Amino acid sequence: MSIRIGPKDWADDPLQNEDLAKYPFLNDVSEYIRQTHFDFEEYNRPEFKDIIETAIERIETEASGRLYEKLDRFQREVFIFLATLIIVKSIGIESVLRKYSLFEAMRAEKFLTEDLKRERNEQKRRLLLFKIFKELFNVDIDIDADDERLFKVKITDYLKRASHFHEQEWKLINRMVNKGYVYLDADETVRLFRNELGALVYDKVKMMQLLTLPEALKTKIEELRTKMTHRYEYRATAVTDYPPCVKHALEVMGRGENLPHSARVMLATYMLAIGKPVDEIVMMYENAPDFNEKITRYQVEHLAGMKGSRTKYSVPSCDKLRNENLCFATAECDGIINPIQFGRKMRK
Amino acid sequence: MTESAVVKTINAVKSAFRGYYFKPDMVEAPDKMEQREFGYMQFGQPGMVRHLSFKSMKELTATIMKEVPSDIYCSNAYYRFPTYPMQEKQWLGADLIFDIDGKDLHLPCVPSHSYPICTNCGHASAPVPDEKRKEEHYSCPACGGKKADDISIPCAKCIEGSKREVKRLVEFLTGDLGMQRSDIHIYFSGNNGFHIHVSDEAYIPLDPQARSDLVGYLSGSGLMAESIGVRKGNAENLFFIKFPKSGLAYGWRGRVANKLKIDGSSMIKLKHIVEQKGGYAAFKADLDRMTRDIGVRIDPQVTTDVHRVFRMSGTLNSKSGLAKIKCGDNIDSFDPFVDACLLGDGKLSVKVKTQVKLKLKNKSFNISKESAELPAYAAIYLICKRLAEAS
Repeated sequence: MSIRIGPKDWADDPLQNEDLAKYPFLNDVSEYIRQTHFDFEEYNRPEFKDIIETAIERIETEASGRLYEKLDRFQREVFIFLATLIIVKSIGIESVLRKYSLFEAMRAEKFLTEDLKRERNEQKRRLLLFKIFKELFNVDIDIDADDERLFKVKITDYLKRASHFHEQEWKLINRMVNKGYVYLDADETVRLFRNELGALVYDKVKMMQLLTLPEALKTKIEELRTKMTHRYEYRATAVTDYPPCVKHALEVMGRGENLPHSARVMLATYMLAIGKPVDEIVMMYENAPDFNEKITRYQVEHLAGMKGSRTKYSVPSCDKLRNENLCFATAECDGIINPIQFGRKMRK
Repeated sequence: MTESAVVKTINAVKSAFRGYYFKPDMVEAPDKMEQREFGYMQFGQPGMVRHLSFKSMKELTATIMKEVPSDIYCSNAYYRFPTYPMQEKQWLGADLIFDIDGKDLHLPCVPSHSYPICTNCGHASAPVPDEKRKEEHYSCPACGGKKADDISIPCAKCIEGSKREVKRLVEFLTGDLGMQRSDIHIYFSGNNGFHIHVSDEAYIPLDPQARSDLVGYLSGSGLMAESIGVRKGNAENLFFIKFPKSGLAYGWRGRVANKLKIDGSSMIKLKHIVEQKGGYAAFKADLDRMTRDIGVRIDPQVTTDVHRVFRMSGTLNSKSGLAKIKCGDNIDSFDPFVDACLLGDGKLSVKVKTQVKLKLKNKSFNISKESAELPAYAAIYLICKRLAEAS
């Protein structure tokens, strides 16, 4: 069976199931599951054993910070995805959910980029753009009339997203801009929506209501939770002596939430300044959804002046932190102009 | 100035302002006024009265008539609760605004009409030529004070300079940004510049970061050499040419390509240009200069601040007594010293602090005597500029 989707005039050449398997978070896929009258209890059937195993493999890969690239047939893929949602929800560890969401987004990003680059059928490409960007995020993206490798995004839609990226190349001035549109290639267009795709998967898990769990999943979930609690559960760090801005950053990080780049820099420079070893600092970031030990280590060493420009970075001033909304001053902060002074004051 | 002279001067200005606001429909009603925050300043008092809300122009006019503020502002932002403290207002969005200020253009004519006014005693001196200013430190002839404010009486060249920036901004907005010209509203600021309000709804939800990115675009800051095809090589100052996939046809890439007389096929020519400049770093420095030169000089703070209260159209500016007023479709024919000079011409006696030249309502004034009787619009202008007091 193929699902007919999209505006009527595109219905002659709809997306096929194999296309949809890559994007199991689409409204049409949920609709498909609803139409099949699928009951969670069906996960207890022997032919679903393999589906559950694959779902677990996918979650474990993603929770450890790697992309899961295997793609199954549509009829299996939708139930694998559904199983991952149920399992991640039941495990209930925030940092696992965040990593899973991010890597599910990156997985879809990879497929979508390929589809937009390789698909020769223009109607199909347009339909994909419509299904993903318009239906999910209410953003119109069009194919450039002169160069079909390029996509047009309204400037305001671009700015809302790209202005939060740190790399200079995402600044509007470094883009091809004309008559209210920014022109992007397939990789850039899809990258622009990574955070939203991640948030979409995250919300799907958050909104899910689980009443009873099928037996076949129950045991697996227990096993996985035990395994993951040890690795990913928030390890409370003794934060009593830290200034409130640093405490806040540690708490956010502990919850497995995404900490802005500037806050990460503040945290690392502060820890370096009070003499924490690089190894210990690196591990403070391990709950971050996008944690990569190698990259984090390089960045911390860079801030410490051990890599790159050899400049040792100082802790940003209270003024700077205030400007970046990273200041959570308390009465004890009175009279200090840099978080580093907080520690000294308290130790006196 | 003695205390009684201060009171007398404030009363004279207040009375002229009251006369202006007494005329009907002088102040332009903002859209969705119930969602905006209002604020005003009072004559002779520091600080702003803020976090006010008015449901109708009638209500606002009543307050203006009662208080006769020196300056009246309204937020470009929309709030659910405009009168609450800032953190609790619940921001709903903000109009996109731009400020082009003559003083930011650093025009060569400015020193010739800038009057140093002592911050300690208020003594005004004649303009000092630029070269002399660089050599000598200020010292007040009356009290010996070492600090002075430079008060400029903008000349026609200053206004022309600001108009040029406005026109360039409009070109960027209608060209690159694809805005409708009818969504761009140009106002004279009431002193020495222009305010541009954009009524394109798509820009209302943008946060400060997105607006800051837009400011970078318009002012030409941060263009990477890579964006036009000059890529950094492995070693210091080495480079290679690789044009971006999306080409060099439009936007900043197009502007720079035009200036360098290259297009997406001029690899060798671009390579020569970079070599001639002295390699990657030198080319990058040159590119920065070029883009800043082509970019528009807008005040970044004004555009990125989404909680700002901004001077209301149709109100008087206490730095000049001129009105913030909408310029017609043709900015070239707008003359702020005529079109925004809206105070009456009844006579007012003033004590002028230094010899001064100005032109208002097409009338030239060259005042060399200490006491003068001037039409109210000119007298108030000089008082607002701190170059005269009521006598």
